[in-house]
Amino acid sequence: MSLFVQGVGAVSPLGPNAATTWAQLVAGNEAPRKPLRNGVTGREYYYVPVPEKFIAEAGRQPRLRRSGTLSLMGAAAAYDALADAGFQPEVQLGARCAVVYAICSGGVNYTRRFYHELVTQGANAVSPMLFPETVYNAPASHLAALLKLDGQSYTLVGDSAVGLSAIHFAAQLLTHQRELELCVVVGTEEVDWILSDAFGSWRMATRNSDFEVFGKLSGTIFGEGAAAVVLGRTNGIPLVRIGPGLTFFSRHDALAAARQVIQPMIQEEAPDCVISSANGTFIDQIEERVLRELLPTTLVYSYKPALGDALGASSLFQTVFAALALRNQTVPGTRRGGHRLTSLARESRTMKLRRALVTVIGFNQQVNSLLLGN
Amino acid sequence: MKEKQRVLVTGFGIVSPIGNGAGENLAGLRAGRDGVSTVTAFDVSKTRCKTAGQVNDDWLKDVFPPNRRTQRLHRSSRMVAAALVEAMSMAGTTSPELVVFSTSVGAMSNGEQFYRAVLKSKSRRSMARWVGNYMPQKPILDALELVGLRLPMQVVSNACSSGTNSIGHAFNLIRDGLNSCVICGGYDPLSELVFVGFDSLQASTPEKIRPFDLHRSGLVLGEGSAVLILESEESVHKRKATAYAEISGYGVSTDTYHLTQPNPSGVGPRLSMERALQSAGSDSIDYINAHGTATLYNDATEGIAISQLLPGAPVSSTKSMMGHALGAAGAIEAVFCVLALQEQFLPPNIHFREPDPTWRFEVVANQSRSASIRTALSNSFGFGGTNASLLLRGI
Repeated sequence: MSLFVQGVGAVSPLGPNAATTWAQLVAGNEAPRKPLRNGVTGREYYYVPVPEKFIAEAGRQPRLRRSGTLSLMGAAAAYDALADAGFQPEVQLGARCAVVYAICSGGVNYTRRFYHELVTQGANAVSPMLFPETVYNAPASHLAALLKLDGQSYTLVGDSAVGLSAIHFAAQLLTHQRELELCVVVGTEEVDWILSDAFGSWRMATRNSDFEVFGKLSGTIFGEGAAAVVLGRTNGIPLVRIGPGLTFFSRHDALAAARQVIQPMIQEEAPDCVISSANGTFIDQIEERVLRELLPTTLVYSYKPALGDALGASSLFQTVFAALALRNQTVPGTRRGGHRLTSLARESRTMKLRRALVTVIGFNQQVNSLLLGN
Repeated sequence: MKEKQRVLVTGFGIVSPIGNGAGENLAGLRAGRDGVSTVTAFDVSKTRCKTAGQVNDDWLKDVFPPNRRTQRLHRSSRMVAAALVEAMSMAGTTSPELVVFSTSVGAMSNGEQFYRAVLKSKSRRSMARWVGNYMPQKPILDALELVGLRLPMQVVSNACSSGTNSIGHAFNLIRDGLNSCVICGGYDPLSELVFVGFDSLQASTPEKIRPFDLHRSGLVLGEGSAVLILESEESVHKRKATAYAEISGYGVSTDTYHLTQPNPSGVGPRLSMERALQSAGSDSIDYINAHGTATLYNDATEGIAISQLLPGAPVSSTKSMMGHALGAAGAIEAVFCVLALQEQFLPPNIHFREPDPTWRFEVVANQSRSASIRTALSNSFGFGGTNASLLLRGI
């Protein structure tokens, strides 16, 4: 069955929608970073926030008045994608549409605050207002309510590859349910000091204000944001191929898994560009090796030095940028590209693009890939 | 696309507060065993509710022979692995293509340990392990690694309906010919954060959990894991495997009324049950394993929906015996339905005292009983208005 990306949407540190974000990336801009202090030890990390004004409109929805940034960003990105696909927000979608949400850390801000109250003040002093937003599917529930859906709403959890897992899940729904017309697939991530501190403890996050990809492996910095795609059966950018992905049990195993996932994507025709998941960690080494081996001359782009790594939203950001690259026949230049991959796009380039490949290797043992066509 | 396939259960495994393994769970269901006890994993001196259904830690510790790999496994990973090993050994030589699993709490207790360590400014040496193990997919990956299966995986987290969603999605994939064998199920461990969260919402009770009782006062939490191996009839015939039950229908609905409260009209549960019946092409049900959390609102809406749609059906909530295992509940209850269909009995709804006179169904009160059942419906409804129903048939 043929499936198409009918619309793309985003809210990012560089823009309130996908179009603005894309223009900024193509212009070579990177979003400002802010320090984020561990509330207990004072240890400081940097992150890339989404300015509040970008999500102010979503916050005016009565349903979202008490919800966290995670849900606001997700709703803003989904509305942007639906508008891009030609749907008006007031159209009642009912059971014609399903929501599939990709979540990695979830409502980490609410979770940390709730648990802090529990530990420091006791179980009898916690706020019941915080708890519901700690549930992984809270953002999906809010979005389903805003879109007045009465059918399917799914939340998938995982690492940075979860966005592609969600697209694959949506593709499965559209393949076997004829009555379903479209799926809105959304990924969203908010940052809290506990997230940076935790990944810092794991030696995956740097305390510097920036990082390079395919160069020195200093660790990543996290960015906020949400990205969304509307998937349907007609009109749009063809979803040439999406697989279920694969798991890996060690870093050594990851290379074999990445090879196994990417090879079938490029069997028929080599892609013209790769939108990679490189983020300044061990992931760069694996991607570098697999790309050198399978696609040595294909142009590679990573958005993460410009926007930060948005974990649960990251592979949906990659998919949105792959779609926009095909639509605009342009590959942006990678900010802070290291020397280890010669095929890395260092300046924005307008060129003929027929196929864009998204590759994702996650922090926590998941790998996946997706191919879009033109 | 291939023509529609029958979807058969060729293996199942379960770890729950009423037993470790299918045999103990069957005995527990028949006896109406109360698996709820005072919480020992964390301090409950400041909560209203003090009890939960807990999996036996001594058993979990010894479930796998100690070696470098098993010694590091978190109790969540042990639960999933034990259920997976049981299911795989029952299924025999099978070739699963995909894992669709569920969780709601995930490995939250690792996050709790990490945060407590941060507050005490302890050495960061052990922190990396907690962070690496915090991700909700980690216990499933650990279990897969233990049995040597490297497979693609989807992890559904639709709060309390997750378990039913994971089985339902796997069912759809096989029925429509997209896959021929899928491992599905769910897990959730008890977590302090979630326990206190439900207590703060006053959804949990300091008393016994009494689903569908007129004087019910709330839920108690539970934990556990269940795994089902689903296979197409074609694949079962090809390898001459034994099937234990059939999954014949799945329905979902979204109730957008409120994040934590169901629409009081019962429209959400009713729609999901109707859609499951429609998907199975069935209109009669011999047993309903209800969501039945024993909260005022949940049981009220589910009670209305069952009364309207399936009046007279025998209903029990097995949460009365083991508490609410959240993201694992749907998977555990699906296994309970398989056992009920196989052994031809109705699992009981224990601690039941007085029926609500407005409902038109029969609660299987306090004791299990023999019955001729061909079809069972399992309901799961969750935070965020996610509703899911699964229809199972005996073989």
